[in-house]
Amino acid sequence: MEQNQFVIAAIILALVIAVLAPFLASGNPDGLESAFFSMYGAKTVTGADLDEGQAGLAEEQVVETTGNTFEFEAPMPDYSIPGMDKAGEVTAIVAGTVLVLGLVWGAGRLIARPEQ
Amino acid sequence: MHIPDGFIPLYQDVIYWIIAIIFISLALKWARNELNDEKLPLIAVLAAGIFAIQAMNIPIPFGTSGHMVGAALAAIVLGSPYAGVFVLTLVLIVQGVIFADGGITTMGANIINMGVVGGFVGYYGYTALMKVTDNTYASGFIAAWAACFIAALLCAVEMAVAGTFPLVAGLISMGLYHAIIGLLEGGITAVAIYLIATARPDLMEHSAGVSA
Repeated sequence: MEQNQFVIAAIILALVIAVLAPFLASGNPDGLESAFFSMYGAKTVTGADLDEGQAGLAEEQVVETTGNTFEFEAPMPDYSIPGMDKAGEVTAIVAGTVLVLGLVWGAGRLIARPEQ
Repeated sequence: MHIPDGFIPLYQDVIYWIIAIIFISLALKWARNELNDEKLPLIAVLAAGIFAIQAMNIPIPFGTSGHMVGAALAAIVLGSPYAGVFVLTLVLIVQGVIFADGGITTMGANIINMGVVGGFVGYYGYTALMKVTDNTYASGFIAAWAACFIAALLCAVEMAVAGTFPLVAGLISMGLYHAIIGLLEGGITAVAIYLIATARPDLMEHSAGVSA
């Protein structure tokens, strides 16, 4: 495959994944969150059920333990646009994919001096 | 395994950031010397694909889910652990700043776990396994699994130092979940290597050349 074809095919594949992700992604806690909730009594290590109330308390409790109260308002929290449903999630992940593509390409272009 | 802000005390975050910045500067040096016209588009599309696939949490048992990290893949395909550090640093900045996935204060720790451990275990695991098995896909699968698993264990140690998790319970639960999540990491890494090797065998020959 030619370089341009390859790059375009890869970008299309990334965008297809980005569009499908909100429909296929699991809402279960990830490995670190699940471990965290099991430490703080919101679930058992191997159990499937999450106690939402206890999970909320756990998040307050850990901030008390570490003393790290830093908070930051991200524009598209949890890959969603506040007030929008699945369309917002698709938009968020597609926007992020394009942003990462541009950022890595741009940063690489600025930094790279392979000839010297 | 993106650590949120509240999970680590600030003074420890500073230490992780300093270590991360050392590796980031080495990754920038790698990028300056290595990113030619052929590799620059490859690393950019790999990063975009890694970001997209990271957003897709796949369910595993125990009411849990996991997703690809991708540093091992980037390191294997581009032939350097620093490719993993470079890609994951930029991906984690976008995830933390725009999407609140992973904290800002804890980003240094996340860059160490996913970028540095992912890149180094992925790359050196792959090159070592290639010498033994001479099988690109098996080597990629196992190296990427190990990258995920070891990063999770390091994360559990950081949580113990932070006072967030007890050490042994943390190692067991993080190890259990990521032993399974690592299978996703390994599987997707092997498939991606196959796709890249099929479309552009010349690119993989450069990086697979380390086995020669």
